[in-house]
Amino acid sequence: MRGTAVEARRPGMRSLLTLVGCEAKMVARDTSGLIVPLGLPLLILLTSASSASDLVVDGGRTALDVFVLPLVLTMVIAMVGIINMPSFLAYYRRSGILRRLAVTPASPVMVLAAQVVVSVLQTVVGLAAALVVAFLAFGVDPPGDTGATLGVVVLAMAAMYSTGMVVAAIAPTPNSAVAIGLVAFFVLGALGGMFGGRQALPGPLAEIGGWLPFGAAVEAVSSAWAGTPVEAAQLLGLGATVMVGTLLSAAFFRWE
Amino acid sequence: MPSAEPAILAENLAKSYRRTRAVVDVSLRVDVGEAVGMVGANGAGKTTTVEMIAGLRVPDRGRVRVLGLDPRRDRTRLRQVLGVQLQHAHLHGALRVTELLDLYRSFYPAPRSSEELLDMVELTAERRTAFQKLSGGQQQRLSIALALAGRPRVVILDELTTGLDPHARRRMWRTVERLRGEGVSVLLVSHAMTEVERLCDRVAVLDAGRIVALDTPAGLVARAGTDTLDDAFVALTGQELEQAG
Repeated sequence: MRGTAVEARRPGMRSLLTLVGCEAKMVARDTSGLIVPLGLPLLILLTSASSASDLVVDGGRTALDVFVLPLVLTMVIAMVGIINMPSFLAYYRRSGILRRLAVTPASPVMVLAAQVVVSVLQTVVGLAAALVVAFLAFGVDPPGDTGATLGVVVLAMAAMYSTGMVVAAIAPTPNSAVAIGLVAFFVLGALGGMFGGRQALPGPLAEIGGWLPFGAAVEAVSSAWAGTPVEAAQLLGLGATVMVGTLLSAAFFRWE
Repeated sequence: MPSAEPAILAENLAKSYRRTRAVVDVSLRVDVGEAVGMVGANGAGKTTTVEMIAGLRVPDRGRVRVLGLDPRRDRTRLRQVLGVQLQHAHLHGALRVTELLDLYRSFYPAPRSSEELLDMVELTAERRTAFQKLSGGQQQRLSIALALAGRPRVVILDELTTGLDPHARRRMWRTVERLRGEGVSVLLVSHAMTEVERLCDRVAVLDAGRIVALDTPAGLVARAGTDTLDDAFVALTGQELEQAG
């Protein structure tokens, strides 16, 4: 039979689900990697929520609703997306796992998609843990606009994972992936108000930080949770990050 | 009579890494149903050649076709008909043998069953063992099983039995003979002359990035005027067997 008679059949949904299941088992069998991305935001919540829940800042909302909770939720999303997931992919590349997959019909997109799905599950667990603690221990008010809050969280996750994919694509080693991811996380976090609010930054930096994914996510979640309209600039910043990150990671992704 | 569409056709391949010329000029044809061995000292260019054929590296010059497919342009179709066992490649360490088999089987439309694959490489007893807890030889055998999961029509086996004990080595030889019985074409990279002598119709001898001889095992021995393939290799390449590793 001539080679050209071979039908081009890419692995389908069953294969993707099997890969997702394997990735999930890997995480479940080594949970130490989840301590920082899930534990650190919870620690910040526990240390800050008590005083913030008593401080009414705007429209009857507390500082916990408007500042602390959006920051903690964004931290969970960013740490899993920008630090955790890229380090996994870089390890796969370094150890030869991606190279082994490269000689199968599995496409790079499928491998990346499985990583994203499992990372989303990790993020959902982290978000759920933070929300349960916030609701039960500190009596946080429910979101003013649940739909908008969910939408903004999903968009923020897409933006952070796109950023993480770029880190995964360019990092040559697992250590460098963690290093690049940490630098990206702290730069984006600092410009996005992680260390005391963007108001404390010089004007141009504060402006830039509001467009970058961390700052845009914090502001957008805060607005949606308060039930006020989310600014178009924040949605635009997050959307642009998704597009640019996806294009860059697709262009630079390497099996080895 | 060779098939019109060879299983593997490599023409004038060349590949350099910065200033190192890994492959200078390699041309090779493996016909459908044929088994061709590739032997050479460390650094002779065997693995780079195999990686270009498998589509893992882009040649600086020359062209490759596998069953008429271009490894770069026809990647999706090629991966369905080509099974590759790599010399250096690892798997998800925390996954069990059956989980890895199920994962790799899921990539193909009509894969071999897990039981058949486990039997082929004698890992049935280790089916629930995590990859990272397998011995080196067991990991090697699992890697071979994964290369065969999709019922490939062409297989590339890079260092098939390196690190395997004599029993496992003979088992792998029987597996290759079984594949040949199924009409599968084989490109076997090896350091073991007894292995290529037993399994291969023809043997390509690589030296410094070039094929210096390509013939049947008996033909190579006759050409070199020696008694054994080991001696023929030394005579053809000037390399001591220790260097051939």
